[in-house]
Amino acid sequence: MPFQVRGRFFTAVVLRLTGAADAVFLEALDALTRKAPSLFANAPLVLDLEQSEGLRQKEEFAELARALGSRKLFAIGVQNATARQSAAAAAAGLVTLQGGRDAEPGRGGRGAAPAPEQAEPAGATMLVTEPVRSGQRIFADRGDLIVVASVGSGAELIAEGNIHVYGALRGRALAGVNGDESARIFCQSLETELIAIAGLYQTSEDLGPAVVKQRVQAFLRDEMLCIEPLK
Amino acid sequence: MAKIIVVTSGKGGVGKTTSTAAIGAGLAMRGHKTVVIDFDVGLRNLDLIMGCERRVVFDFVNVIQGEAKLRQALIKDRRLDNLSVLPASQTRDKDALTQDGVETVLNELREQFDYVICDSPAGIERGAHLAMYFADEAVVVTNPEVSSVRDSDRVLGLLGSKTHRVESGTGTVKPHLLVTRYDAARVGRGEMMKIEDIEEILSIPLLGIIPESTAVLRASNVGTPVVLDDKSNAGKAYEDAVSRLVGEQIEMRIEAARPRLFQRLLRRAS
Repeated sequence: MPFQVRGRFFTAVVLRLTGAADAVFLEALDALTRKAPSLFANAPLVLDLEQSEGLRQKEEFAELARALGSRKLFAIGVQNATARQSAAAAAAGLVTLQGGRDAEPGRGGRGAAPAPEQAEPAGATMLVTEPVRSGQRIFADRGDLIVVASVGSGAELIAEGNIHVYGALRGRALAGVNGDESARIFCQSLETELIAIAGLYQTSEDLGPAVVKQRVQAFLRDEMLCIEPLK
Repeated sequence: MAKIIVVTSGKGGVGKTTSTAAIGAGLAMRGHKTVVIDFDVGLRNLDLIMGCERRVVFDFVNVIQGEAKLRQALIKDRRLDNLSVLPASQTRDKDALTQDGVETVLNELREQFDYVICDSPAGIERGAHLAMYFADEAVVVTNPEVSSVRDSDRVLGLLGSKTHRVESGTGTVKPHLLVTRYDAARVGRGEMMKIEDIEEILSIPLLGIIPESTAVLRASNVGTPVVLDDKSNAGKAYEDAVSRLVGEQIEMRIEAARPRLFQRLLRRAS
């Protein structure tokens, strides 16, 4: 295969337009980027059209993307678009995105105060003390996930960092979902349906008898998912 | 204050209705005023298992929609004074149940009874959701088999998140594990899951083990809760489960499979 396909999560900045994309808008945007120069640095930009139904021509979208581009802001797509807006945006090279979630409500929206410039504290560990039941999904989006109980078949653990399970792991575990290839998965008894690190996965069918129902750790070595018993 | 107990499982056909009837009758035999409610609107069965299908005039949906009074819909059991049945409607569907309506009926029943036993439909949709929503305790009925265990695990997740006690922050729904259709011989041959394995996966306290028994089908067909059949293993196992449900400490008995009659005869002949 001349390529590899991976699923990845990326953080995007959402810009919700509350009026027309005119000179007033661009001026306000310039004022914001002057105050908080790192706010938009290298972040892909998604335009939220919920409050700007007037924007519907291909040329308008192309012009807006150009105006943003000249300020080193890179629009990649739109959300909350009507069918007509989607078509016009697509013609201007913008993809229609669905199901985005706000990182922190209010941030980046309607002329809110600029976000503080220092980075968020990394590594917020999430601790779960109850059994994770079939059908439940636990998402530690800012660090490690520790489960001090069993994880049922049909449950799903997702973490930006490492995953530790101090019980049987029967469901799925996906560590390093933002692409962290140093993330690891540890468990007391490996009976998993699927484990993945940074998008590389193995299903229970691939697991050898040497690791099934054993205390193991899983990690990436040279782009290979390795599972080894813990001594 | 009455206790509301939901009998639930996720998977169908594991013995929810049989268990509801047996637990309801068992509690009534001990002198507790008990009502069993059928939440399986559209596929009602509890009235048959309780043997009162010919006396159904009004049902749960009629009461919720204000077409009948609760006392008109409640059917008193002919064998046990303390036991009543609130049947489901066979001609409606689950959308006829509303959260407010269910709450009003349950609150009224709480005033009159010591135990309110809700027989949940299979699945995790509206009917099952409303059956568990106002519960104080839950009896999770599980067969010794992987798909049933996984569905029970799913239901336990819902009991821990989508119930009134949890959502209002006033407590949790206390779960009990009831293993039904247990066949010691098949477990011995490795064809069925061991009790310890089920307990390990679900990690909730064990209420009882009901052996696979021909008495259960016989009881269903004649409309008598199996707990009233004091000669059967299943009836005795349900009695023990009811004792544990009201807080008594009773040793868990697993009946060894007894050789069938004709097998004994064969042995004698050989």
